[in-house]
Amino acid sequence: MIVSWDWLRQYVALDMPREELERRLMMAGLNHESTEQVDGDWAIDLEVTSNRPDCLGHIGVAREVAVLWEQPLRLPATAPAESGGDRVDSLTSVDIECPMLCSRYTARVIRNVRVGPSPDWLRNRLQTVGLASINNIVDITNYVMLECGQPLHAFDFAKLRGRRIVVREPRADEQLEAIDHHTYKLQPGMCVIADAEQPVGIGGVMGGADTEVGSDTRDLLIEAAEFDPTSIRRTARALGLHSDSSYRFERGIDPEGVDWASRRACELILELAGGELAPGVIDVGTSKHDRAPIALRYEQLPRILGIDVPRDAVSRILVALGINVVRESADRIEAIAPSWRRDLTREIDLIEEVARIHGYDTISEDVSVPMARSARTREDRVLERIREVMVGSGFDEALTPSAVEEPLSAAFSPWTDRPPLQTQTPVLRRANQLRRSLVPSLLEARRTNESVGNEEIELFEIAHIYLPSADALPKEPLTLGVTSGRSLGDVKGVIEALCDRLQLSQWPAVEPHDDPLFWPGRAARYVLDGEIVGFLGEVSESGSAVFGLRGPTTVCELSLASLIDGAQLITTLEPLPQFPAIARDVNLELDEGVLWADVEALVRQCCGALLERLDYLETYRDQERLGPDRKSLLFKITLRDAAGTLTGSRADEIRDRIVTTSEQRLGARLRSS
Amino acid sequence: MATLAEFLAQLDALVDEARASFTAASDLEGLEASRVQFIGAKQGRLKAVQKELSGVAREDKPTAGKRFNETKAAVEAAFESARQRLEGSTAAAGPGPLDVTLPGKKQRIGRLHPITQTIADLKEIMGRLGFTVAGGPEIEDEWHNFEALNIPESHPARDPLENFYLAAAERNVGPMLLRSQTSTVQIRVMEHTEPPVRIISLGRVYRPDTADATHYPMFHQIEGLMVDRGVTMAHLKSVLRLFASSYLGADVHIRFRPSFFPFTEPSVEVDMTWGEGWIEMGGAGMVDPHVLSAVGYDPDEYSGFAFGLGVERLCARRHGVADIRDFYRNDVRFLAQF
Repeated sequence: MIVSWDWLRQYVALDMPREELERRLMMAGLNHESTEQVDGDWAIDLEVTSNRPDCLGHIGVAREVAVLWEQPLRLPATAPAESGGDRVDSLTSVDIECPMLCSRYTARVIRNVRVGPSPDWLRNRLQTVGLASINNIVDITNYVMLECGQPLHAFDFAKLRGRRIVVREPRADEQLEAIDHHTYKLQPGMCVIADAEQPVGIGGVMGGADTEVGSDTRDLLIEAAEFDPTSIRRTARALGLHSDSSYRFERGIDPEGVDWASRRACELILELAGGELAPGVIDVGTSKHDRAPIALRYEQLPRILGIDVPRDAVSRILVALGINVVRESADRIEAIAPSWRRDLTREIDLIEEVARIHGYDTISEDVSVPMARSARTREDRVLERIREVMVGSGFDEALTPSAVEEPLSAAFSPWTDRPPLQTQTPVLRRANQLRRSLVPSLLEARRTNESVGNEEIELFEIAHIYLPSADALPKEPLTLGVTSGRSLGDVKGVIEALCDRLQLSQWPAVEPHDDPLFWPGRAARYVLDGEIVGFLGEVSESGSAVFGLRGPTTVCELSLASLIDGAQLITTLEPLPQFPAIARDVNLELDEGVLWADVEALVRQCCGALLERLDYLETYRDQERLGPDRKSLLFKITLRDAAGTLTGSRADEIRDRIVTTSEQRLGARLRSS
Repeated sequence: MATLAEFLAQLDALVDEARASFTAASDLEGLEASRVQFIGAKQGRLKAVQKELSGVAREDKPTAGKRFNETKAAVEAAFESARQRLEGSTAAAGPGPLDVTLPGKKQRIGRLHPITQTIADLKEIMGRLGFTVAGGPEIEDEWHNFEALNIPESHPARDPLENFYLAAAERNVGPMLLRSQTSTVQIRVMEHTEPPVRIISLGRVYRPDTADATHYPMFHQIEGLMVDRGVTMAHLKSVLRLFASSYLGADVHIRFRPSFFPFTEPSVEVDMTWGEGWIEMGGAGMVDPHVLSAVGYDPDEYSGFAFGLGVERLCARRHGVADIRDFYRNDVRFLAQF
């Protein structure tokens, strides 16, 4: 809302410096955006919150000034002189067929006006607030709107077919050329102002071009009405047509100011354009808004605000705001809000009014707040450890958008086969699919990095993914995603470090896995308690192509819920061993098809409780010495007996048992050195 | 004929004894005597054990031989280290000099995202003020995102163009949308908790803004909520002051400007002093009585405050990030700077 300094001064004394006015209005709720000088006047741009439509006119702003500076508010009289001719209801009629959309419509008729340019004072007022002058009639309707906040419209009365107004919903295929000379298709649910035959205006939004007031106009019909805010908002949005008028109706006008505005406009028209005002007014519909007294209990002021406000100040503030105090008693004040303040219906509303005028700067910023227990959540503590491991392992943390484009979303969805959730409008360009995996977003980030020539791209992200659910809110598992330039084994090692750092009592098992994103045979899934908790794989050439990646990458994704549950944040010390350990290397020749997991299970079984560690050392392949499809696995077992010194011969026995058992079960052969 | 086990046991014993003997030697003469005893070419113990190698079963020979070699190397190494110890500074031996000005072998350490770092700071500060972290879903129903927050059907904030509604509604949930504020978590916590409540929630929120240097359709909010008997706006101001002063590490003042949010009343914009002037921190207010009633609290018994701040703004200002889109581009050269 742009306010003119000179205009404001018509209603209230402005003895303060302009900056002081701007500052105090800001501290009372009208945020100061900017001020510009226009021909010796000041155009002060104030931000009006949606609960304060009363400040969408100069009088409303002047009232705030009057309250803050304890000055009287001077309102213009509105008593236009009626002529002695035909009464208005003999000249025209108004029918409201859609009272849900238009609750009240008033019309006055002025005949024999002289349409022409506006006087300088009027042109200047409009110029300051950024409105072009059209002619004296149109300028007056705009002026009154900017004065009191009530939008008005003047029709060329002679051009209204049947000389009557019908307020109704549009008929099939009706359209209207508005005064902006665009033609709008009218839709059901909109409110149309029509004459006897066709639409002449979009109610509360914009008038029609062919009934517009022009230089040849002689007779006027002045409309002042009240339209349903929600319907106006929908109409303006549907037509892409937002006007000063729709802006005000969307927020709600003063129901008791409708006729005031009509009289004010007529008075100015008679003064500036002459003519004869037909006696009476057509006032159809109702705009009753019951306003019950609101009780403000004095004790509530310190209870909510933390300050005491003197009772006489409370009453002075309410009265100055136009709030009608009906009763004051020992513990409360009862008051009725003015018609222009429909936002005031509850005790808390009055508390806020008192507070903002009394001043929030009177509230202390130094009171003591009682102490309270607060503990870091388990999730936060586990996530911090995960981040430590990832950062320590050379990964940068990424934050990627929650939505991705369709082809990328489709490229990897290991957690669900259900189609992704979609937003009605894309979150970002083309990205309207809520991600079912972090991997597509991370591969996009990888491509961004490749495209600027970054060589080391090691990224992880911890975020929610969105898995559709049949009949409830979607599941949003917290997930760790990784993209690395390192090998599958390297990334797997990082995950193992992670499991180690979280001191998981049970580590997820690893099984071979297939997914079109990965090279065949170069992917795995993590399984814990029979549930898949993660995926790991090297992205194949075709997978890279989907994301436009040039270099190879290994990706990994882990669902974190089970890690958060299983992490041991507080461990109990195990005493350090008292007896020495013995290590033995074992080198087994095996078929390629035998997995390390098979060997590991066998070793654990053979060693029993004596096994302290099992370390894989290397795999050796040599067609000539080992034969085709054979490999040799070298590993080290470390054995320790908690109850006594383990002898070398006992260790050898166990090693021999491993060799014999693996010969029998895995077709292994001890490799001779 | 010795079994493999016996043979290996001899080897283990030999290493232990030789080490003990070398370590015990107090001068070079004594060490020489020990050397002759264990590694002497003619009558040394090692030589004696080597002879028994021939007595080991044929299939055990590879293992036995390997272990013998290891034993020999271990004994020799023990002697060498003892000799160096006794020769002391007179010896020229040692690993030799290095160009210590060569660069070290670099360990790649990653960085946490600046937003994560800011959030960690905020959580830590609020934790010290007694606030516990609470979470909630990013995809919400209309009750939690609007109704319970005193945003009725007719409110402009519910316009489909002001929100990311999902394309399909779920049977038992109705229309769903990406939450437009973390205030939803307030409702979820209060629905299941009796006062006193002192929580913060942090997370992603979504609003349909075109991405530019200062807007992004996804951003992070920190939301604070305190409800108890006797909580006032003075508590709100004081907590925000402690919070801002702790975050900036300097004495900061707080200013309230009247504003309007459906879920708080009175509602204020919060400014804090930063350098010379005031800068906007976020929105706050006293929890609206309708909201307290919606979660089953008696507004005449309990009062509370809530505040919400944008994390990106705090983070961008602290680090001099001019374009918030950089936060989500994840260029490693950007990430490496935090």
